[in-house]
Amino acid sequence: MKRLKRRTFLKGLGAGISGILASRTMPYFFVRNIAQAAEGDTIKVGILHSLSGTIAIIETSLHNAELLAIEEINAKGGVLGKKLEPVIEDPQSMVQVFAEKAKKLLLADKVVAVLGCYTSASRQAVLPIFEQYNGVLLYPTLYEAQECSKNCFYTGAVPSQQLDNFIPWIINTLGRKKFYLIGANYIYPKETNREVKALLRKHGGQLVAEEYAPLGATEFSTSINKIASSGCDVVFSDLVGDQIVAFYKQYREYGITAKDIPICSPITTEQEIAAMGSENAVGHYTSFDYFQSVDAPENKSFVERYKARYGRNAVTNAVMQSAYFATYMLAHAIEKVKSTDPDALIFEGLPGQEVQAPEGKVKIDEKNHHTWLWGRIGRANEQGQFDIVWKSENWIQPQPWVPYLYPGKACDFTDPRVLKRLKRPWSEEKNRSGTINL
Amino acid sequence: MFTQSIITQFFNGFSVVAILIIAAVGLAIIFGVAGVINMAHGEFMMIGAYVAAVVDKLGGNTLLAIPVSFAVVGALGLLVERSIIRWIYHRPLETLLATWGVGIILQTIVKLIFGPELYYVGTPKFLAGGFRLIGRLPFPWYRLFLIIVAAALMALVFYVIFHTDLGLQVRAVRRNRAIASCLGIDTARVDMTIFVFGSGLAGVAGAVLAPIKSVSTTMGFPYAVDSYMVLVLGGVGNLWGVVAGASLIGEAETILSFVFNNVIGELLVFLFIVIVIRIVPKGIFGYYERR
Repeated sequence: MKRLKRRTFLKGLGAGISGILASRTMPYFFVRNIAQAAEGDTIKVGILHSLSGTIAIIETSLHNAELLAIEEINAKGGVLGKKLEPVIEDPQSMVQVFAEKAKKLLLADKVVAVLGCYTSASRQAVLPIFEQYNGVLLYPTLYEAQECSKNCFYTGAVPSQQLDNFIPWIINTLGRKKFYLIGANYIYPKETNREVKALLRKHGGQLVAEEYAPLGATEFSTSINKIASSGCDVVFSDLVGDQIVAFYKQYREYGITAKDIPICSPITTEQEIAAMGSENAVGHYTSFDYFQSVDAPENKSFVERYKARYGRNAVTNAVMQSAYFATYMLAHAIEKVKSTDPDALIFEGLPGQEVQAPEGKVKIDEKNHHTWLWGRIGRANEQGQFDIVWKSENWIQPQPWVPYLYPGKACDFTDPRVLKRLKRPWSEEKNRSGTINL
Repeated sequence: MFTQSIITQFFNGFSVVAILIIAAVGLAIIFGVAGVINMAHGEFMMIGAYVAAVVDKLGGNTLLAIPVSFAVVGALGLLVERSIIRWIYHRPLETLLATWGVGIILQTIVKLIFGPELYYVGTPKFLAGGFRLIGRLPFPWYRLFLIIVAAALMALVFYVIFHTDLGLQVRAVRRNRAIASCLGIDTARVDMTIFVFGSGLAGVAGAVLAPIKSVSTTMGFPYAVDSYMVLVLGGVGNLWGVVAGASLIGEAETILSFVFNNVIGELLVFLFIVIVIRIVPKGIFGYYERR
């Protein structure tokens, strides 16, 4: 009897504590969502970014950027006279949870589209679900490309947009020819380095060494010794996450400066620099479509609004900017087709959609679901920001299959062969890719 | 050229060994004496690193962060021991699960307070730069500092275990808990003190590693894994085991990573550990009870 009582008591206590925790820690938007849903007549948009677990660091910022865009759209009167209602799910940095939550958003919440995912692994986990149930996914991350799905729109950069100008610039303007490639040991760095190597061959650069560190490894004294004794004059780094911080810190610790051997990266953002301290990043280069320091009125007002909303110390970066303008693209696409039907959005609303983003005017390609973005090269300065040392004259075409590595392959959703295939129901034809052989 | 680089690597290896010792020593005495498999060890280090970040923000440096982290994480260890661990000593599976849970709770609490982003901790000014040893690269002063810290921590632990009354009791409890208890040693108090001491050392580890690594809520786990490898290889319950395990893993990893590459290096080290454990299951300096 006593045992039973104690258990009941503990249960009650547990429920009470979790209730208190929920009310204390659950972000306010849950509460607001209920209020909005009560008004009825909203358009539901899924937001699928990890708010806990290992990738939460970056994904929380994407989540924030998307919510900011939704708030702004709603403040201007919403879409088709209705408010956008964010339906937020936390996939906890676990690939299988991404899949479950994506299914839930599509089937139970019936969202018009989902803004979500960061890693390639998570995107690849949810894509089959979006394809099966004909959902719309807007994916904001720069990634290794070589993919195009009917149900996905990619608003981040593909490697060619970051590298096609960066590598020749390093060789010709910086005058550095001997490359040491260091990256994390998984798909994105390996595929990116494939393109780097192809570009080196094309532009007369020289590959000194190529090295991969296990994911999560943060001890780089060995790699740095190798770099110093290799005779290279530039390091190309596609290390990710915590590794970036540890690598740059230890690089300077061992007395190598940006004057001796600069580090060039397609992935180091303002956020990592804030974490490593600007003294460890000064003089190193990054290539991106967007930097917080972009000198444009749209960007200044974006940074201002972001800081006003999330605190003075908040930093903006390229990926969250992509997430931000993707939200606007979705809203404009719904306005354009005056419907929330996925096929209307996929075939008419989103392709060719243009917005004035913080980085400049950007557009979803009419054919391949990727995005026309700007090219910029930044040199880290003492304030932890990037001085933009080069900017493309025009926006750059997205190429999911670059011709110098994959001649004869392309992605084209306007091709009659592809259209014919996509018209057939999923149960008969599971291939939803737009890739064709030329 | 190659030989020179290998020699440089050998010295680099010392700093990696030092990092492993610093990370593992707190765990070694908790695991070795109190018999608790502390899965929250990495999170204790993480909290030590965040304490260092706060000290850094308030204008202090690593030297100040060391005692502050020891105190804060030691106090945390006391709290965890008194509220949870003391009820489940000598039930290894339960302590494993409970401390795993404690680790998750600590991560979440830190994230609620500090937010999910990475934190910055600077290197103290007088330890910036390095000195020329051999080859092209200078050896960083901070790495030398880490080696000194590792030696000092080992010396401190050796002193406590072999030259204090507490150490005498600890050794007695380690040898035979029941007899020690019969002889009037308050074994529960010994366990508690050791847990607090070990936690404090984990805090120090976090504080001194923060300037060269990244500080985030999830930083702890890889260190915990490394520390367990050191203990398993070196042997639980013998302090020399920590030194031996860390030296073998640290030097092997740096040399092999240099000769081959990081991935192969790590793989060979794991393979090496498996083979050693097959031959001496309790580790190189493993403690064999008399039967």
